[in-house]
Amino acid sequence: MDGIGIMTRIDELRILVPVDVSEEEPPALDVIDHLGAVEVVLLGYFPVPDQAEPALLRDQYGPEAADRLDAVAAEHGGPAEVLVFTHDREATIDRIADEYDCDAVLTGGRSTVVDRVLVPLRGDVNLDRILAVVADLLVAGNETATLFHSVAEDADPTQGELLLIGAVDRLVEYGVDRDKVDWRLSEGGDPQTDIVELGAEYDLVVLGETEPSLRERIIGDVLSAIVDALEVPALIVRDVE
Amino acid sequence: MSSDPTRYETEERQMSVEGSELERTLGFVEAMTLGGGTMIGAGIFILPGIAAETAGPASSVSYAIAGFVALLAALSLSELATGMPIAGGSYHYVNRALGGLFGAVVGWGMWTGLMFASAFYMIGFGQYLVEPIPFLDGRVFIVGLGLVGLVLLLGVNYYGTEESSAFQNVTIGVETAIILVFVAVGVFFIDPGNLEPFAPFGPGGVVATTGIVFISFLGFEIIATVAGEIKNPSRIIPLSMILSVVLVTILYVLVMLVSTGVIPFESLGDSPIPVSDVAVTYLGPAGVVAIVFAAIIAAISSSNSSILAASRVIYAMGRDGVVTDWFNVSHPRFYTPHRAIAATGVVTALLILVGLEVETIIALLAEAASFSFLVAYSLVHVSLVVFRRADPDGYDPSFALPRPLYPAVPILGVVLSLLVVSQMATVVVVIGTGIVIFGVVWYATYTRGRVVSEGLLSEAIRGKPAEPYRVVVPVANPATQRGLLRLAAASAHANEDRGTPELVAVNVTPVAHPSPLQNVEADRFEHQRDLLNNAHDIAAEMDVTLRTRTVVAADVGEAILDVLEEEAADEVILGWDGTLDRDGHVFGATVDPVVRSASCDVSLVNLRTETVGTPVALIAPGHNAPVVAHQAAEFATVDGAVPTLLNVQSPRGKNDSNAEERGRTIVVDAAEAAGLAPSDYDIQVVVADDIGRAIVEATSQYDTVCVGLSGRTEGSRIPFGTVTERVVHDVPSNVALIRGS
Repeated sequence: MDGIGIMTRIDELRILVPVDVSEEEPPALDVIDHLGAVEVVLLGYFPVPDQAEPALLRDQYGPEAADRLDAVAAEHGGPAEVLVFTHDREATIDRIADEYDCDAVLTGGRSTVVDRVLVPLRGDVNLDRILAVVADLLVAGNETATLFHSVAEDADPTQGELLLIGAVDRLVEYGVDRDKVDWRLSEGGDPQTDIVELGAEYDLVVLGETEPSLRERIIGDVLSAIVDALEVPALIVRDVE
Repeated sequence: MSSDPTRYETEERQMSVEGSELERTLGFVEAMTLGGGTMIGAGIFILPGIAAETAGPASSVSYAIAGFVALLAALSLSELATGMPIAGGSYHYVNRALGGLFGAVVGWGMWTGLMFASAFYMIGFGQYLVEPIPFLDGRVFIVGLGLVGLVLLLGVNYYGTEESSAFQNVTIGVETAIILVFVAVGVFFIDPGNLEPFAPFGPGGVVATTGIVFISFLGFEIIATVAGEIKNPSRIIPLSMILSVVLVTILYVLVMLVSTGVIPFESLGDSPIPVSDVAVTYLGPAGVVAIVFAAIIAAISSSNSSILAASRVIYAMGRDGVVTDWFNVSHPRFYTPHRAIAATGVVTALLILVGLEVETIIALLAEAASFSFLVAYSLVHVSLVVFRRADPDGYDPSFALPRPLYPAVPILGVVLSLLVVSQMATVVVVIGTGIVIFGVVWYATYTRGRVVSEGLLSEAIRGKPAEPYRVVVPVANPATQRGLLRLAAASAHANEDRGTPELVAVNVTPVAHPSPLQNVEADRFEHQRDLLNNAHDIAAEMDVTLRTRTVVAADVGEAILDVLEEEAADEVILGWDGTLDRDGHVFGATVDPVVRSASCDVSLVNLRTETVGTPVALIAPGHNAPVVAHQAAEFATVDGAVPTLLNVQSPRGKNDSNAEERGRTIVVDAAEAAGLAPSDYDIQVVVADDIGRAIVEATSQYDTVCVGLSGRTEGSRIPFGTVTERVVHDVPSNVALIRGS
């Protein structure tokens, strides 16, 4: 396999955890505590509807939102906090992830433990970083991972196999125990449905950023459909050169 | 950033600024669309008739002047908005700068002004709907349609809509396109004869008309209101404000020129739907439909913005306590300022209803709204000057008007606004003044006592206070605090050329394990309070500003160091009991860390007698000598004495006649370096074999002895010579050990 030698090891995995601070009940973020040695940046966002003014809502809800965010932070070891009133949650996530140099964004879902991790791979895009993040998780904790790839019906499945086997090899190169990694190849299904269905059996799904070539959004349309449908948390790995 | 968990301050501190931010989603195009779109509106469709009637073809000049006045306001607002991005706009800046009285005046003025504007647009809306349809004639229909439109807008704003900005952009685009076609085609139909005479009512008519049409420019302020959401604010805020005002002004001037050029101004003046009447002459029925369509959407969008802006103002007034904070609540589900919107809606509806009775309601509403805003913007200009002069903490505009725009813009802005106001119709001046008086009365009866905003006016008049010269005095012992504060006050006064004298008295309560929940024992607390109250009394006697701070900490010395750091102290005067070398400390457990690590001048004072009297400074060559000399001169001012600078020389050989001269040179050099004039000090040089003894004998003649400690402390060692030791032990006078920074 070529390309193995130029993998970028992520020294310290830093993930952005967005929390909706307009909700009275903070979301369950137990998953953070099970991710091992990651650094967390907590983004409290207050979604401002189109018709309302952010400045006006900040006046009224600022202190309350800050208290909620502090409470969440206190429960999870006091990570860095950012509080933003925003019309556009996704834009805020993008910007803060960028400003704080986060490797991945953790979204949605509920999991109390993280034992099994699903890693859907789409191709070479962003592969190095996704694998680096997964390796970091597996080396630091006791999780096992399943690498997943879906090939179109009329395509040659060996391509997909090669991709998956190569990815497993890379993880092993990183120091991951080979027993902790397996892979699954799906033929001819709709990747989106496959991921959502399969995801139900796992505690965490690690996904790559959408449309990285266009630098559109960390959570683009396709991804957000998957993330919304998933019941477990998703860790979205950013594509940073 | 790390906070020291072992120290808690009981001192009242300004509440820290909320750490939250707004997402900056508005770029240049968005800001331009917002500002221009809010501004371009019904004014240009409704007012040309009235404008032509009062100024003739020169009404285009009225639009130009009004645009210029708006531009000046936009410039001042740009700076204020980048300095203080907060909801409330003009009202907020004035309230902050000029205090609650002017805040109330401008708040009420803007609120009523925007409601006048909103009612004006809705009646204009009614006119454009009713007039083209022959059987729908009459005032009742106009007012009725205006009310229906208003109710719809209120509903939309109360419940909130996920209104797509794309839709808004389309309507603004269509509106602008129709106006552009109107102008572009219209110029070919201008009959130069219609433009003669250009100004049949003279300059007075032109200025008076400016007061009516100024309303057409309301809206650019929205950019200031959303300043917190604008990307790259230092560039985009001023650029979009200026550009939107300029472009809209040009457009308005052209519309007015075309209108008065195509139709004689006399017949234009009779029309309630002037632009449509102009369009019919060269664009035919299609032109009329287009203009009516544009006028209607313009009226709706302008009225909508005014309602929103008005509710924003009263909401902000609720926040600041100018009116009841009942208004300062947003809807729990829709997040809209629903109470503010409802109140605004009720009053606006009443204003529209007045249209049933008053025939000239349109001109009246327009002019009254203009009046309010001209007054508001004059005060905005004044506020800018106040902010510049007072330069409060937290006001740090990323866009500042360059010279000579500042102070030209605010001055010209006030002058022009007042000029326009002076030419307004009497009835409008009466109404407008009535609203101002209402604001004053409101302030006197309701607001006063509740409103916290005092404004920055007094600070602005005094000018930016010079950097303080700050002397910190830790006080613990009632017996010595008077003496210490006296010395500190003298030091501070003597340094007036370096800054305004200011004392900070600190009392540190040592506790083993400080916690915010632990109560300091009652008697200790009482003791501390007495100490600091006394300190205030003493400071008052000495005519010096004094602040007091109380700190609870495990380590007193460290706590004092922290205070010195926070206060950016220039000098610290520490009391000390005169003992040396005890329990492994040079001066004591508290004093040692301060002497070792303080980055300011340190005076360690052991007060043994009541009088400071005539101080003597022991001058030895070295970088510390000027500091010691200066300190002696400072202490001398307590009793109005002249300090003596003393140098002791040992003779080099039997007949050393140069010793005296050598000593004198050393003293003069040190005094010069300290900036003392020859008349500021006396020189004493003693030549003796036993220097230590000579020093003790010589200094004992004085009331206070100043001795230098070497300023350079390496590691944890405090250099401390035998001479100093002898002075401390053997001289009965007050002793001050000085260490330069």
